[in-house]
Amino acid sequence: MFQQMNIQQNFPEYNIPGKQHHDFSPYESNGGSIVAIAGKGYAIIAADTRLSSGYSIHTRKQKKTFKLTDTTVLGSTGCWCDTLSLTSLLAYRMQSYVHTHQKTMSTNAIAQLISVMMYNKRFFPYYVSNVLAGLDEEGNGVVYSYDPIGHCEKTTYRAGGTAGALLQPVLDNQIGYKNQNLAEKPEITKEKAISIATDTFISASERDIYTGDSVVICIITKDGIEEKTVQLRKD
Amino acid sequence: MQAELARELPPAGFNFENCKRNEALINGGFLAPKTVKTGTTIAGIIFKDGVILGADTRATEGPIVSDKNCSKIHYLAPNMYCCGAGTAADTEMTTDLVSSQLALHRLNTGREVPVVCATTLLKQKLFRYQGNISAALVLGGVDLTGPTIYSIAPHGSVDKLPYTSMGSGSLAAMSVFESRYKPDMTEEEAKKLVRDAIAGGVFNDLGSGSNIDLCVIRKNKTVDYLRNYEIANRKGERTLDYSFLKGTTIVTGTKTFNLDITETVIPMEVA
Amino acid sequence: MALQEICGLSDAPYMKSRTHFLKSTEEEMKNSTSNIENCYSLSAPPFENPMQNLNAIQQHGEKSGIKIDFDHGTTTLGFKYQGGVLLAVDSRATGGQFIGSQSMKKIVEINDYMLGTLAGGAADCVYWDRVLTQECRLHELRNKERISVAAASKIMANIAHEFKGMGLSMGMMLAGYDKRGPGLYYVDNDAQRTPGNVFSVGSGSIYAFGVLDSGYRWDLTDEEAQELGRRAIYHATFRDAYSGGIVRVYQVTKDGWINISNTDCMELHYKYAEEKK
Repeated sequence: MFQQMNIQQNFPEYNIPGKQHHDFSPYESNGGSIVAIAGKGYAIIAADTRLSSGYSIHTRKQKKTFKLTDTTVLGSTGCWCDTLSLTSLLAYRMQSYVHTHQKTMSTNAIAQLISVMMYNKRFFPYYVSNVLAGLDEEGNGVVYSYDPIGHCEKTTYRAGGTAGALLQPVLDNQIGYKNQNLAEKPEITKEKAISIATDTFISASERDIYTGDSVVICIITKDGIEEKTVQLRKD
Repeated sequence: MQAELARELPPAGFNFENCKRNEALINGGFLAPKTVKTGTTIAGIIFKDGVILGADTRATEGPIVSDKNCSKIHYLAPNMYCCGAGTAADTEMTTDLVSSQLALHRLNTGREVPVVCATTLLKQKLFRYQGNISAALVLGGVDLTGPTIYSIAPHGSVDKLPYTSMGSGSLAAMSVFESRYKPDMTEEEAKKLVRDAIAGGVFNDLGSGSNIDLCVIRKNKTVDYLRNYEIANRKGERTLDYSFLKGTTIVTGTKTFNLDITETVIPMEVA
Repeated sequence: MALQEICGLSDAPYMKSRTHFLKSTEEEMKNSTSNIENCYSLSAPPFENPMQNLNAIQQHGEKSGIKIDFDHGTTTLGFKYQGGVLLAVDSRATGGQFIGSQSMKKIVEINDYMLGTLAGGAADCVYWDRVLTQECRLHELRNKERISVAAASKIMANIAHEFKGMGLSMGMMLAGYDKRGPGLYYVDNDAQRTPGNVFSVGSGSIYAFGVLDSGYRWDLTDEEAQELGRRAIYHATFRDAYSGGIVRVYQVTKDGWINISNTDCMELHYKYAEEKK
């Protein structure tokens, strides 16, 4: 057998501690936006279908929502390869949960699982913006949102992705009734939530170059998941 | 009196006073503000009776669309127009300046200025600034020698071509030209071709978008500036009404000023 | 076959059998989610010195626009007084310049007698507090008595020491009540661990300390202590852009912790402005 040559011992001049290409960039932004809204008896999650890189469009028909169970849908954008590896790992883990516990995972169990799985890559994070929407044990809507290393927060509405910073204030105002001095603040109905989600995407595609083509809206109720597609600007 | 006659004019051109300071700020972690870019698809072709220039109408600041309907075909002279790609302010200022120089040239000589003259003025200015003026131009015009199209790169190099494109969508536009351009096309054919080339950029390049502008300059010195020749993308219709009820915003405080108006204002005479 | 061995050809992927790949895929899947079985086992990055190199990637991202902004927590405070331990925190989480959340829970309920506050990286704090919760419960089951605050904070400090220099960002306080009385410890990502009477952690802590130090006495009544904590956090939210949202006040007594109040800081702002008149 060959003797493993020790570069550091035999060729000290080749030994550069911590050498790394200064332009090491393992991430890419593939764009896209997500909006999720939860209410009494329903949760909706919408994501556009444009997958891009730089100034070019890879595809106009990439769904960014992942049906995990009959009551849970994950929306994921950012670095698409990270989204794919995260969701395939998630599928593996969820399958193994079914075999171990003889039941499908509840929404909050999935939420926690995603958090732990994302934290596993704490030192080389997934570059993704995740929003999870689903129904809880009582059948009411819940939304969980994540930061890139797995900090998870339960909310009722959330926008993420490239137009996240553009859309979140609109949701704060229209759904959270922030800065609105109203006598009554009626609960958001399912129909209104769908309309608001559609409208925010129409506006986002006007101003964010990475959002457009069409938006897929998943409507989660106890009767199942209904899918609706609305066309957006194509430019 | 003497001083008044030979008054010192402020130096022409750019002011570099703050360069060192801004560099220090950026090194200290301050983020430089983004300039408005015209991501842009611009194109120009020669046809039987003249030239046609085309451009999209999107201006961007990074990933955000800052103007959905800006105009990128700039006037240079009655027989010349120029499309600009790159930093919006640079393309606008450069073409404006050259347009003034051409006007002075016309007044001095009393003749129509040849297109090559504008090309020279532009390329000399751009070369002088070594690419720091971020303007990629497609210049089209008609003069004694006939219709001509020039493409001028930011560093000052010039190409004289029968058809050309510039900007981030130039490849999309050029692919249309390469497959379908032929010499001596009719005006209708040529307009359709330029429209298709720009549309290629609008739909396939994220830096370009919104509408399509065209400009036809004919050998007989007539010009059709077709602003928004085609509205390629319409704004989506919102499903809800987002007007607010009166009193939605909290009034946190009021202040009343009692003003004593002593002066009487006599309305200015108009007409 | 021997030649293959010598050339290292048998290690090449195309020389492996199909079952080997099934096994190695499964292995890989397990490794990528290793912290589900063992919470201390995180994936190693494909480069050395993660703190330095992650920063280098971040800096490159600043140019290309691909920047990973973790949620960060902000102003927290805690102090011991005659009635036990009082904790007060804000609720804003920021990712870069963006306010990620205005309703984050920065006090983690570890068990009925112990609370943890979090400042710094939100994911780091929440994850390791969850691990701590598990360790505390295991301690109870093993020793048939509740864990002391000192021991719990030591577990936390050990975790921080394990990952020291890897770029974790945590500044947490552990508050509880055990047989030694009220306990308050500060633990951070450098594995520093100190007991004390008055702490404030986070970017708004300098403002909170100003109010806290001027009003702090050992013999504060419960109401006074709660008001002091609330006011200190409010003033921090007023001056520090990275703090805001809801001011949450908790108190730990010998009977365990209680949540005193959760007040929007805008409400407090107008209340205090009214009092000044």
